[in-house]
Amino acid sequence: MSIRKRVLLHGAAVLLLFWFLGPILWLVSASFQLDNELFSVPPHWIPHNPTLDNYTFLITREPPPVYQGAEMGRRASGEALSAIPALQNSLVVAGSVMVLNLALSALAAYPFSRLRFAGKDFVLGFIVTSRLIPAIAVGIPFFAIVQRLGLLDTKLALILVYLAFTLPFTIWFLIKYFDFVPPEIEEAAMVDGCGRLQALLRIVLPLSLPGLAATGAFAFMLAYSEFLFAVLLTRTMASKTVPVVLSAAAINFDVSYALASTAVVIAILPPIALALLFRNYVLRGLSTAFGQ
Amino acid sequence: MPGSGVQVPPIALGSRRPRWTSASVQRHLFAYLSLLPATIIVALFTLYPTLYSLNLALHQYHLLRPGRHPFVGARNFVEALSTPGLYSSLLVTLQFTAMSVAGTAVLGTLIALLLNQPFRLARVLQVAILIPWAIPAVMAGIIWRWVFRGDVGVLNGLLYSLGLIDSYRSFLGDPITAKLALVVAHLWKHLPLATILLLATLQVIPRELYDAAKLDGAGTWQLFRSITFPFLKPTLAVVLIFDTIVAFTTFDLVFAMTGGGPANATTLIAWYIYNEIFTNLNLGRGAALAFLVALLTLVIALVYLRALRTERLYREG
Repeated sequence: MSIRKRVLLHGAAVLLLFWFLGPILWLVSASFQLDNELFSVPPHWIPHNPTLDNYTFLITREPPPVYQGAEMGRRASGEALSAIPALQNSLVVAGSVMVLNLALSALAAYPFSRLRFAGKDFVLGFIVTSRLIPAIAVGIPFFAIVQRLGLLDTKLALILVYLAFTLPFTIWFLIKYFDFVPPEIEEAAMVDGCGRLQALLRIVLPLSLPGLAATGAFAFMLAYSEFLFAVLLTRTMASKTVPVVLSAAAINFDVSYALASTAVVIAILPPIALALLFRNYVLRGLSTAFGQ
Repeated sequence: MPGSGVQVPPIALGSRRPRWTSASVQRHLFAYLSLLPATIIVALFTLYPTLYSLNLALHQYHLLRPGRHPFVGARNFVEALSTPGLYSSLLVTLQFTAMSVAGTAVLGTLIALLLNQPFRLARVLQVAILIPWAIPAVMAGIIWRWVFRGDVGVLNGLLYSLGLIDSYRSFLGDPITAKLALVVAHLWKHLPLATILLLATLQVIPRELYDAAKLDGAGTWQLFRSITFPFLKPTLAVVLIFDTIVAFTTFDLVFAMTGGGPANATTLIAWYIYNEIFTNLNLGRGAALAFLVALLTLVIALVYLRALRTERLYREG
């Protein structure tokens, strides 16, 4: 590589790293500052008086001395304080969606990948095109369905809705993935008297682990991120998820930036951890499905 | 579809009609039973909402005038089409979508090419890029709102520290910078997936093709145009369809970042409908509007798919 090319490539990479990570690094720095320091001009990129008060406050919900003054007490709004309960709701919802989605989409993708049966193209076409309807277009009817099922303000309602959202993607993705698993091994097993379901569970699934990991991670993240229906279908902390609580805090002009930043840092940890832990699986899964 | 059971109209059968031997019945039974749970859930939240929306759109349904819901035919649609805010919102949405899709195509390809180069920083960037991808859109909106803000905004702080500005300004308070800010946040969140998919495609291009072309004296641009780009094209098409639909229906970012302002400069269509429904409480008109936008999205998707199919036929034929 020529010197000029090396400089150019490194320069571009540094700029991109700055763009992608800069805002998050600042968020982390802000979470270790208090509001009075956050408003300094120019900002303290590295906190001069780093403090864990924001984290202690959010986790224990006991206001540390700095937040007990009238000014700070007002700013420490209830929304930021609901961050941890909301996080628990989000984890329950996203975790359930991940598990159920994996089971249902593996089961549904298998016959599409392996079997010839009447109505195959029609059902697959229906499932895949169902996601072309924009979310905002079905806001009112979703509300009506959930109300009729008596599930308003429950986590179960969110789980059902997110399953309906994620399944079309994950079924399509797993069909592509299963297509890459050679059918000869299951055929041999079935000659030896192994049933279809057993072939799926004992042979196809273990050979598709990267694809399943990518599927699970995708379902978790979509459920963890979803916002519009979470706003429409939740009322109280019985079911409010992280995006609902944090967006309310973010547009509230009275909120403490330091506390809200801390809440955002805590909230983005689970999906980032998941993405980095499953990085190799996700990348391998994606490249198998897309590298033709 | 649930309930369609074993009786499926013969049109869907394809060229060969299955014979109903016992093995074939067993195979069908297994297939339908495996499909059933997923299909029921998808259908419950697809067919029913669509019919419900249509029904709502054909009746007067105003939350402030409860109890009476007469059939009004196309009136909601006509009313929805004659609200002046609709067209300015569509224009804003088109601007946003065009900038986002163009940005995704160009930057996505460039970053994928960069990541495909053998140097250590490329591998660091490959991991780093997954972080914005993993961050929920609402939180990306909150993060970027705080970057662009006029008081604690960190972009102001950065420009001030570098001596480029002498007082803070509110980037989200100006229509033009607010629009650009929204695109920057959108790209930050959605470029990574596009890049990862494009990179995956780049990595399967056989190296021999480049070696052979180089022997024939091809330059960098020629290599890209006659080898890299043709390989990238199918993935690029998928990425662009996906981003068009995502950008066209963006809601979370607007909610968390700008609230549609200033002066409706960032009122994307999804945000516009949301406000029609939940501020004006006119469910009938809101449903009609939502229906029209759903149709528009569908048309965009179908046009793309058609273009893709002709492309593929052309390539294979």
